[in-house]
Amino acid sequence: MALSEAALTEIRRLMAQFPERQSALLGALFVAQEQAGALSPEVVAEVAQVMDLPASEVASVASFYHLYRFRPEGRHLIQVCTNISCLLNGCGRVLEHLTKRLGVEAGETTPDGRFTLRTAECLAACETAPVMMVGPDRHGPLTPEQIDQVLEKYG
Amino acid sequence: MAESFLLKYVREADQGDLDAYVARGGYEGLRRALGMAPEQVIDEVEQSGLRGRGGAGFGTGRKWKFLPKDPAVTKYLVVNADEGEPGTFKDRTLLEGDPHRLLEGIAIASYAIGAHQAFIYLRREFHRARAVLERALAQAYAKRYLGQDVQGSGYGLEVVVATGAGAYIAGEETALLESLEGRRAMPRLKPPFYPAVKGLYMQPTALNNVETLCHVAWILARGAAWYREQGMPILFSVSGHVQRPGVYELPLGTPIRQVIEAAGGMRPGRAFKACFPGGSSSAILPPPYLDTPMDYDLTKVDVYGSMLGSAAVIVMDDTTCMVEVVARTVEFYREESCGKCTPCREGTVWMTQVLERILHGQGRAEDLELLNGIAKGMTGTCFCPLGESVPPAIYSTMRFFRQEYEHHIRTGSCDVKAAVHAGAAR
Amino acid sequence: MTVTLTIDGRTVTVPKGTTLWHAAKAAGVDIPIFCYHDRMPPLGACRMCLVQVEKAPKLVTSCTLEAAESMVVHTTAPEVKAAQEGILEYLLINHPLDCPICDKGGECPLQDQTFRYGPGRSRYVEVKRDFAKPVSLGRVLVLDRERCILCWRCVRFGEIIAGDDALKGFERGFQTEVNTPFTMPVESKFIGNTIAICPVGALTARTYRFVARPWDNHRVSSVCTHCGVGCAVYFDVRGNAIMRTQARESPDVNDVWLCDLGFFGHGYVAHPDRLTQPLIRREGGLTPASWDEALDLVARKIAAARPGRTALLGGARMTNEDAYVAARVFRTAVSTTHLDCRLDARPGSPSLDVPWGMTTPIADLATRDAVVLVGCDLTEEYPVLWLRLKQAVDRGASVIALTPKALEIGRAVAHHLVYRHGEGAAVVAALAEARAGRPPGADVAGVAHGRIALAAQALGKASRPLVMIGKAALEGPDGAAMLEQVGALSEALGLPLSVLRGRGNVFGAAFAGLLPDTAPGGRPLEEMRADLERVWGEALPSGRGMSAPEIVEAAAAGDLDVLYVAGADPATDLPDRSRWTAARRGAPFVVVQDAFLTETAQGADVVLPALVIPEKDGTVSNIEGRVQAIEAAVAGPGEARADWQIMSALARRMGKMVAYSGWAEIADEMRSLIPELRTEAIVPLAPRAAAPAADARRPAGAGTVRPPDGSLTLIVGEALFDRGAMSARSGAIADLAGEPWALLHPEDAARVAVADGEPVVLTSRRGSVALRARLSTAILPGQVFVPRGYDAAPVSALVDAAEAVTHVRVAGL
Repeated sequence: MALSEAALTEIRRLMAQFPERQSALLGALFVAQEQAGALSPEVVAEVAQVMDLPASEVASVASFYHLYRFRPEGRHLIQVCTNISCLLNGCGRVLEHLTKRLGVEAGETTPDGRFTLRTAECLAACETAPVMMVGPDRHGPLTPEQIDQVLEKYG
Repeated sequence: MAESFLLKYVREADQGDLDAYVARGGYEGLRRALGMAPEQVIDEVEQSGLRGRGGAGFGTGRKWKFLPKDPAVTKYLVVNADEGEPGTFKDRTLLEGDPHRLLEGIAIASYAIGAHQAFIYLRREFHRARAVLERALAQAYAKRYLGQDVQGSGYGLEVVVATGAGAYIAGEETALLESLEGRRAMPRLKPPFYPAVKGLYMQPTALNNVETLCHVAWILARGAAWYREQGMPILFSVSGHVQRPGVYELPLGTPIRQVIEAAGGMRPGRAFKACFPGGSSSAILPPPYLDTPMDYDLTKVDVYGSMLGSAAVIVMDDTTCMVEVVARTVEFYREESCGKCTPCREGTVWMTQVLERILHGQGRAEDLELLNGIAKGMTGTCFCPLGESVPPAIYSTMRFFRQEYEHHIRTGSCDVKAAVHAGAAR
Repeated sequence: MTVTLTIDGRTVTVPKGTTLWHAAKAAGVDIPIFCYHDRMPPLGACRMCLVQVEKAPKLVTSCTLEAAESMVVHTTAPEVKAAQEGILEYLLINHPLDCPICDKGGECPLQDQTFRYGPGRSRYVEVKRDFAKPVSLGRVLVLDRERCILCWRCVRFGEIIAGDDALKGFERGFQTEVNTPFTMPVESKFIGNTIAICPVGALTARTYRFVARPWDNHRVSSVCTHCGVGCAVYFDVRGNAIMRTQARESPDVNDVWLCDLGFFGHGYVAHPDRLTQPLIRREGGLTPASWDEALDLVARKIAAARPGRTALLGGARMTNEDAYVAARVFRTAVSTTHLDCRLDARPGSPSLDVPWGMTTPIADLATRDAVVLVGCDLTEEYPVLWLRLKQAVDRGASVIALTPKALEIGRAVAHHLVYRHGEGAAVVAALAEARAGRPPGADVAGVAHGRIALAAQALGKASRPLVMIGKAALEGPDGAAMLEQVGALSEALGLPLSVLRGRGNVFGAAFAGLLPDTAPGGRPLEEMRADLERVWGEALPSGRGMSAPEIVEAAAAGDLDVLYVAGADPATDLPDRSRWTAARRGAPFVVVQDAFLTETAQGADVVLPALVIPEKDGTVSNIEGRVQAIEAAVAGPGEARADWQIMSALARRMGKMVAYSGWAEIADEMRSLIPELRTEAIVPLAPRAAAPAADARRPAGAGTVRPPDGSLTLIVGEALFDRGAMSARSGAIADLAGEPWALLHPEDAARVAVADGEPVVLTSRRGSVALRARLSTAILPGQVFVPRGYDAAPVSALVDAAEAVTHVRVAGL
């Protein structure tokens, strides 16, 4: 079993919040992903089982949304907004600095498993463009020096 | 100028705390609503003239009136907190800064339509907002502003926060419902699936935007007449090449120029070139439209796709390559298309390929006609508004900035960028 | 209520609620379409069917918009034409133009619509999307992703029609692809339908890829006789070979669908193992012989047999006409009363006492609001019936299933009561009691009492319930009690009981007279004796006829001189393999008439090569009693003959003329005896007098026998895909079936340290069988489920029919 009892309990709690259990699927997938690191076939099957949904449905739903991952990634997800307001404010330089600094291209994970770098669509923080998120935290407006300082906070 | 109220307390550090909120008159609107009949609440909202702030601008009171009154029918309120229209960040600002206002609006709206369950569909990336909201919810339940017996009225309401998982299309109301039901966020067929008739779990459902419900809280607290006296302020998200990007509360109908000025105006030495007045789904307007009032009549302007939308003004100065902006915009829709209907799925791919080719110096003379043709193929043929959001940027830039495309195609390079570089070198 | 509207200038009146697309069709106006399939609700995704409606602000999809009074619709306006060209151009930008090698070429809606409505040239100059191709999704399904136009038909088929969610959309936007999760083999019993409804060549069948061009095939109407539902099919034939099986629309039976056994189960017809000439046992071995030699020998042996000491087993593989002639020849020329087609019943089985088949039309299943399904694994036994039941479920019906193994359709079963093998009758009794207002106070046979009460509530609310009993109930240890309890419940609800029992054309064989003491048409023989003697011109022998189990026992006891097996393989069909071994040993002369050298045939004295269903003209009957016509698609191999011809020739050698010019003449004669017989009509079997019964060896009631320490209770059940005489020789089906398997509860598996997929040996007092373990909680602990039908590892080798319950020990290898 890939999922812990605590994760299963949390999934069941989410299911109880809704008139129909499938409504808890998006939340359950995050619970599973956070606990197991990624939505492997085994994890998908287990979520399907606990929620009594077809595994095909669970996998299909998960693949639709960009915040799920099917293979393990870095400890911290860096999302660099590249949408218009950030484009106008130099997100290209932010991305360039990050790829140089981390030695990976967008979509890749650093060899030490610390960061996964991704581009993102509008993060609804255009007042601080150019902006990025590291894990749950929002950072902006960013200059190359600030990026370095920000990264230090994430081990 | 009228009093700013939507943003009045947003930057108060303690506004997310129930006691502070109540001390500033919070939940007065709910108390007042509970003393009224539900229909009176709806009437009051309708009299206020409030129109939905999610982008479509439908009358909020009218929308609620579409729901059946029969108390035996289970009804739901669903809050669209999946803010994702590029350039828009006012809902996030409200969520993070004034969560009880939203909860109060939710309670009032739910009471008005006779819903006993409300769901907030929150954008997953809004981690801070979620934490703030969860805390506010716990407080509101504890003090019985929510729960089985709201303020001793006998009215019961449960509010559940659900999150998205990274999909712009989930902001479309029927796609949001699909997502909230745990499925792929693909829009539903209308008819028959109008949310007010067959919404969440096929039950009548009112879908409202965060800002809309915050307006509702104020309207019930102060009255529709007061609200109208304020000039019906709305929140503008102003970003791009302005000096002080941010959320600004201005009366409906404020001209674009003044909106930009409110945000500190253009940066020194730079001139206004164009803007999206209502998020990236709207047309791009050049300088001649600067004095156009920002209101629902923006759709009547002679530019296809011009609209108030989410009132997200993305300002571009004279350093901006319009072809690049359009390419990025189209690419955004390509990334966020759900893939259900052919024109959106394939049109965005094709258009992106052509625009990328032009940007990379491989444009052909016939590409402008081709771009126009692809856009035409998407116009009025898509399943939902997402695909229909693509042509406005194409049409408007081909009309106002055609020479930029032509220069790219002719020379394989960008004259705007070249000029900026030359300027920097000087 | 109707509405009248104008489409392209034609006025048409249609019922309210009709979509524009259907209204146009009614008006004779074609509107191109991809995503819409008329068995599923409209989707509106492909946008191909856009039309112009006057006063509408923009074009609308005709598949979704309902026709309204006075609407004026244009389907050929310039705007519509432009939109159609646009959509086709979009669809084609990433569609490979590999039509010359695409299986769909020639019958491809995308090709046809591009031809009719397309732009003529594409403005697309970019590089087309390229996927590694093709992707294999299991044993039969092949996916070419780049050909897919994302119409969602296959996905929705799995969600709406089959309920198996086999294929799904993955990723999104331009990256969307139809697939299985993680590209694993597709899990479905209906996937052939997705291939059939795919509007392009994205989904193809491994059995048909690059095999034929559609214009080279000719279609022959027939009926699938694998399971008994009797789905209408076309065999697409080129030369003298079946290229593929397609569903033939039959609204009352299979509608437009088939199961995968139907789609891919024809491979055996052309298999090189087919018998092509008669064989006679000489010096210990079976050697080729002429028909004359073989038939002379058989006739001589039968003539020499003492009265009442010849018997006929089989019939399920015959047509109705074959079975009728067999019954006539055996009752007259051979002069015996011992004939029976129900081989797979155990001695004393209560299923011998009831007519097999449904008492309600198949289509009627969809209209029931509660269905009690006892001891039937619907998708394994009668898959297409499930598609009807699914419709009922979608309309709000409650399914109450009582089975010894959880069903794969479990998610659709509102009340799924999985009982301990041998104790199901008690659960049925508790359900009936609860319905009468006396809910059980304690759990019954491993089923929680609360769930029984809930099921009873659902049943109590139903206004159109239906009760069906299946093989697992009737052939289980407490079969008699099951029949009694289920019968009582059915009666209490005022319903005739449907018996989901029998495979192949066993219904037709029984109908035509291959039952002891039963005349063609199902009436008791004695009632019809005078008519039969008049038409057949012979006196019929008297005396009680033996049932199949009795015939086998008689042979084993040395009480038969000749045992004639026609279209059956008792060596593998009988629930207890040792009984056949004994019967073969005890019978001095055994004749087998079959298409393959089955295990039974290998031990026969004479083997006669017979045709199979796709090689025959005539009629067959299905589980609801419907008589359907079949046409020969291909000629049989070598000297193989139709069963009726063999019977007729045999009669002639015995000095009796039982001659016909063809199947039609036989059918005419049948009609003279069975006035209600009409092709395409349901001709129900008349209730028969209870069969002789009172078998002394009937096992003693419910299987409350506790297994000895460490052993498990054996449940023998059904699997759709198996490896029998025909299925093992239909490559795709044999592949789908895989190796023989046993289902173990994880707790039991853990005790013997066996993991999923590992080999195990099951050993009973009777014997051992090696199988591959599958772990599942579909059965309760302490039991092991093994499917019948794998001839190479027959579970019947473990069973002693004299025992109510078989206990087995499980060991890893």
